[in-house]
Amino acid sequence: MNDQVGGNPKRDRFQSLCQRLRPDLLRFAFWLSRDRALAEDVVQETMLRAWKAQDSLLDEAAAKPWFLTIIRREYARSFERKRLVTVDVDELIAREEPVLAAAQDQELTELRAALFKLPEEYREPLVLQVLMGFSTAEIAAELNLSNAAVLTRLFRARKRLRALCGEDTHLDPEE
Amino acid sequence: MMDCAQYRRLILANPHDPNPELRIHLESCRDCTEYTERLLRFESRLARALHVSAPAESGARAVPLGATGANATRRAPAPLVRRGWLAMAASVLIALVAGGALWLASPHPSLAADVVAHMAGEPQAWQRTEVAVPPAELALVLRDAHMRLIGDAPMVSYARSCLFRGLKVPHLVVQTDMGPVTVMVLVHESVSKPVSFDEEGYRGVIVPVPGHGSLAVLVRGQQAGINAIREIAARVQAAIVWTA
Repeated sequence: MNDQVGGNPKRDRFQSLCQRLRPDLLRFAFWLSRDRALAEDVVQETMLRAWKAQDSLLDEAAAKPWFLTIIRREYARSFERKRLVTVDVDELIAREEPVLAAAQDQELTELRAALFKLPEEYREPLVLQVLMGFSTAEIAAELNLSNAAVLTRLFRARKRLRALCGEDTHLDPEE
Repeated sequence: MMDCAQYRRLILANPHDPNPELRIHLESCRDCTEYTERLLRFESRLARALHVSAPAESGARAVPLGATGANATRRAPAPLVRRGWLAMAASVLIALVAGGALWLASPHPSLAADVVAHMAGEPQAWQRTEVAVPPAELALVLRDAHMRLIGDAPMVSYARSCLFRGLKVPHLVVQTDMGPVTVMVLVHESVSKPVSFDEEGYRGVIVPVPGHGSLAVLVRGQQAGINAIREIAARVQAAIVWTA
């Protein structure tokens, strides 16, 4: 059934790596773009570029940040190619409703919609931390920021998100 | 000495910050303990919210690259420089593109399915051994869940902080009469009642731990009975001391 992947260890290893990482890469691209179709395109293009540049991946353990860097570049390129226009966030939420809707959990659906409303500068480090498991230093390296700047963005991200979700924030500290 | 505002600023930026000063403040401040518990509940929801459905690849989907439907026609493929490279890249993309169509259609995986899926990433953990994890190393891992083990806990032969549904959780293997048994301490995953599962060659239970999420306890293969696994779960649960 799987004869296409036999006999080429290099290709098999890379394919296995792609398969393992793909769900998280798709999720990252989705939260970055807030657009499922664009996320799929970006990840597809990322895989092509990654295949071409695989010799530069010296340590498989570093594969996730390596792929994420390519995804971020591809996402930026998609703006150049398509001259994407700013879209109203409520339109984005309505368009991606099938992804945002969580079966039998309205709170989760609302939280996803609130994530759509977070500015990218806050959403991206939050996704890297919570979804991808990056440390503050790793986020700083990926986004080319200082550790302090990353912590500030994460603080603001959670503060805004909690407010958007109607959480009790009266005990949250001021900046 | 850290004050409440400093503590909350840091914990809002990173709810799992291992900074010992945070722990010291938390141990002496009831308000911040309650604040942290609320924040961790929110954090658990946040992790689940970010975990939108995406297909887990089997690697066996052999769909020609040119037959990928609407997704393939969305825009022209990137220019490729060599036919050999194209062939290899195309095979890599087979699973990717085929999976894309299933992204939305896939049901969100159950907690048990996610636990089982996590096992595939750490096959080395299942060794039968008499060598215990050094106490200091074990303590570091258990700190993620604000817990320690005492008394009648089975010997822990493997302990790692693992990323599970976006959060770091202790992944332990304990040695028992029936061989290695995996224990995952899921402080952010609540279940209302014990759940048994038998999936993908793993058999286990997820039991509620009131106020501290749940424990997933599982073995490889079908030799062990569910009741025996439940007994291990009860034994581990009885040996846990929660520190927060």
